[in-house]
Amino acid sequence: MPPFSKVLVANRGEIAIRVFRTLRELGIGCVAVYSEVDRGRAHVRAADEAYLVGPGPAAESYLRGDIIVETALRAGAEAIHPGYGFLAENAAFARLVEEAGLTWVGPPPDAIELMGTKTAARRIMQEAGVPIVPGAVDPVGSPAEVNALGDEIGYPLILKAAAGGGGKGMEIVRGPDEAERAFEAATRQGEKYFADPAVYVERYLEDPRHVEVQVLADAYGNAIHLGERDCTIQRRHQKLVEETPSPAVDDALRARIGQIAVDAARAAGYRSAGTVEGLLTPEGEYFFMEMNTRIQVEHTVTEAVTGLDLVREQILVAAGEPLSLAQQDVVLRGHAIECRINAEDVAKGFLPAPGRITAYREPAGPGVRVDSGVEAGDEVSGLYDPMIAKLIVHDVDRERAIARMLRALAEFRIEGPRTLLGFHRALLEHPCFVCGETCEGVVESEELAKRADELEEPFSHKTTSMTRGPDGVLPTVPRIVGVEVDGRSFDVRLHVTEPPWAGLGRRRRERGGSGAAVGANGAVLSPMQGTVLKVAVAEGDAVDAGQLLLVVEAMKMENEIVAPRVGVVRELAVTPGAGVTSGQLLCLVADPDGE
Amino acid sequence: MLLVAPERSLGSRPMATRHETTEEKLAWLRELGEAAAHAGSEKAIARQHERGKLLARERIELLLDAGSFVELDRFVRHRETEFGMREKRPWGDAVVTGYGTVFGRPVCVFSQDFTVFGGSLSEVFAEKVCKVMDMAVRVGCPVVGINDSGGARIQEGVVSLAGYAEIFWRNVQASGVVPQVSLVMGPCAGGAVYSPAITDFVLMTEGSSYMFITGPDVVKTVTGEDVSFEELGGAAAHATKSGVAHLVAPDEQACIDDARYLLTFLPQNNLETAPYAAPTDPADRESPELDTLIPDSPHKPYDMKRVIETVVDEGAFLEIQPRHAENIVCGFARLGGHAVGVVGNQPSALAGVLDIDASVKAARFVRTCDAFNVPLLTFVDVPGFLPGTAQEWGGIIRHGAKLLYAYAEATVPKLTVVTRKAYGGAYDVMSSKHIRADVNVAWPTAEVAVMGPDGAVNIVFRHELEETDDPKARRAELIADYKERFANPYSAAERGYVDDVIEPRRTRPYLVRALEATLTKREPGPKRKHGNIPL
Repeated sequence: MPPFSKVLVANRGEIAIRVFRTLRELGIGCVAVYSEVDRGRAHVRAADEAYLVGPGPAAESYLRGDIIVETALRAGAEAIHPGYGFLAENAAFARLVEEAGLTWVGPPPDAIELMGTKTAARRIMQEAGVPIVPGAVDPVGSPAEVNALGDEIGYPLILKAAAGGGGKGMEIVRGPDEAERAFEAATRQGEKYFADPAVYVERYLEDPRHVEVQVLADAYGNAIHLGERDCTIQRRHQKLVEETPSPAVDDALRARIGQIAVDAARAAGYRSAGTVEGLLTPEGEYFFMEMNTRIQVEHTVTEAVTGLDLVREQILVAAGEPLSLAQQDVVLRGHAIECRINAEDVAKGFLPAPGRITAYREPAGPGVRVDSGVEAGDEVSGLYDPMIAKLIVHDVDRERAIARMLRALAEFRIEGPRTLLGFHRALLEHPCFVCGETCEGVVESEELAKRADELEEPFSHKTTSMTRGPDGVLPTVPRIVGVEVDGRSFDVRLHVTEPPWAGLGRRRRERGGSGAAVGANGAVLSPMQGTVLKVAVAEGDAVDAGQLLLVVEAMKMENEIVAPRVGVVRELAVTPGAGVTSGQLLCLVADPDGE
Repeated sequence: MLLVAPERSLGSRPMATRHETTEEKLAWLRELGEAAAHAGSEKAIARQHERGKLLARERIELLLDAGSFVELDRFVRHRETEFGMREKRPWGDAVVTGYGTVFGRPVCVFSQDFTVFGGSLSEVFAEKVCKVMDMAVRVGCPVVGINDSGGARIQEGVVSLAGYAEIFWRNVQASGVVPQVSLVMGPCAGGAVYSPAITDFVLMTEGSSYMFITGPDVVKTVTGEDVSFEELGGAAAHATKSGVAHLVAPDEQACIDDARYLLTFLPQNNLETAPYAAPTDPADRESPELDTLIPDSPHKPYDMKRVIETVVDEGAFLEIQPRHAENIVCGFARLGGHAVGVVGNQPSALAGVLDIDASVKAARFVRTCDAFNVPLLTFVDVPGFLPGTAQEWGGIIRHGAKLLYAYAEATVPKLTVVTRKAYGGAYDVMSSKHIRADVNVAWPTAEVAVMGPDGAVNIVFRHELEETDDPKARRAELIADYKERFANPYSAAERGYVDDVIEPRRTRPYLVRALEATLTKREPGPKRKHGNIPL
């Protein structure tokens, strides 16, 4: 008897498909949700039923908790699995789900809330005896307090916005004279990005490893850990490569940090799968950093070495079952690595590179797993995370896992947008990674970007911006073509001549249509004569580029007017029912910083 | 032709030096050549550059392939003696003419020089322009005219007017024979506007070009309206309101780039076809995103330009008049390497309805393509013609007829894809099978019908609806029934009005094959002087 008849997954892309797979194995019906730009996408087709929840921007679709709960009720789902990102760590949403009589596949809302506030989390952890980075549990109120702490625990220090994340609102203080500037900067950024000026102070650890521990807990007080994951390879605090076991953790250390993580989970009253993130210094000190109250992107490497299905554990725990295994049953076998294959341009500082995937073939073979949610012809939208796929390999030890990953990366074929395939190949053969170092400074180095470019190029469209050169040479586009010569097969890079004017067309497109509906200063003008049917925003609302502002009806056609850029709605001049003429000012989308 | 014998020979002016030896004669040529190349005063040149405008020769250099320009008539000078003109006789007068190549293909060009007499048109100026236009027609190559002129040379009086008319006459003679492209990069006012107006394409630069019949001062006196140069006849006005400008660019370099790009979609003359370029985009590329593009609700718009860009080679689409009559999209693209003219109703602007402006815009474009052997590709999603007194009294009957006429008259390969609505008379107009389109297909989302379900039910079942007890429920029932029976492509397909119903994702492969099959089309019509399009 399946624990639920139907579960709705409030997510998109690979994680939605990942969860569906487990649901199917458990005999549970799969319900997907999708936004308008995700119509017909892989995750929609992978489900038994799928429901539209709103327009493209996440704020109007995947983040609309009310609509998602409503959809779950409409579909007759009994539980909601949030995946990661979007609403996964939103306590209010979790409560909404439970209040609607549905089961929340995740930790108790109180635990989410507790872990979401850094200062409160630190206090609870300290009380439970979990080591935390030396610093103040309470927010600091002045630069003088910062200096007092500096004298107590030693420099360098780091100031963090209490509600912060993603690298924003963090300031390093190397000596007493820097306290004032850093305090101001961190408070200001906290206020600006998270609407909370509170900051706290802790010791700044130089060149630490980012090591996290996977925990599982049930409603009966059982809590176990499944070993660690090493996520040291990051850029701008975004993980790129994760592996387990960590090259810096031995059995004794694993037992110690595993116990820390289990203690932390118990202190938080945790249930379901979760991750205790911490920092490991070169001296072997381990400090609690934060707890992620969701299934993580990189849970796959833990699944590889434990042989468990973590999503299955999540669902069974949510259904009220006890954990299926005890700590002594956990056996870690071999070594697993995950590479995140994002549509990003390494050469341009890992800038997202959305675009259409024109050809796509995933690697396979022994020890290779690919979790993805795209296929050829799909557009990697600029609206969401640029991750195309996760490539995971498993082998007996680290050396062989690296070799396997390099093989799989070379097999992976993605044409269209720029991806990190080349970057991962460059990194995994770099001596710093091979030796298991932290690779600080290497990840974002130009040298690596250059090597990545060389490695990626053969399987990627290079858009050239050349027109006929002064030497009269015609620009070409490289294409890989399979040929057979004397019974032997070769991949040949064919330089297809572009028409000499191709560059003119591209330049013209880059110049763009001079946006009829966007005036100066972010003025949004009505593109036609008609009637305002709906006003989706209010004066002063912050909007993302592409977010729905209003609907203007003309000739019975409901034309959606979207925000031309990120900003704040000002001078909203119309109400539903109002008649508008072509070119009339509807509102301004003002620059949020330019006031 | 205004062929008047020059009053004075070159040598009759007082010369400081003698030119007797061969060496001296060569030096003289170089000296005159220098003078011709720098006819404008330094002050005038500086002022031109200050306004963000390039010189006549600089523009030609940008337009033509590097080093390909051959100048004509650099030693032509005016013969006017009145108003002290005898003392000012710059070599070449106020226009630079000649020929060169654009992407290797010959092009004739004239470029008005604002730094000489404000670019005003004199008798010899007109003769130079006429000469190069005659050459273009004779050899069969496009003419590009760069306009930057203060107008007629008042000192020359009626002779200047005669010169204009000679140019207009040639514009008409060349029309439909060789492509004519006008770049307006400065003033172009009064009667002078009619030369660009007759040509196939008008390109303008933002902020530095304007065109009008009468300027703001006259407008103020006659109608009392207060209007600036820019408002009255700037690039923005002509790109949006009047539709005079086909393309508008932010600066001269971009404007000239546009002209070069535009020429790649056009043949050298009406006996040739536009250059073929082996596409780098596979002919059999499918576009799965088209399968999900059409919203379920008929009241939701989508962007027809996305359909076009998805289907054509490399997504490259040169839209013509993009901001005028946005309810219809016209432009050039390539399909399987062949240039095509694309017309599409635009559901996201006025529901894609046909009104006066849209009809005239598309009619002109269709005729341009037909004249120059550019096959037509039409995407149909049209709810009908726009109702209302403004339209009826404005002559939607006459203007709508232009589009019907243009499509019916066109003998180039015509391919049609019905994506959604094809209602009523507008269905007939939009390259339907009945007016001799060659290949017509529909998507499964197509609705080929006399009108939309709501309207149809109101008329057909009026009596029944008046008599029934619950008209609302009955109406909904009848609409649902009508939708099921007529709001689909199959009643049209049953009769062969569409050749097939295809999956949207297959549109590109289907069209490439259809185009390749129809390229050799020949359709000789009856002999006549010319048709009588309802202008």
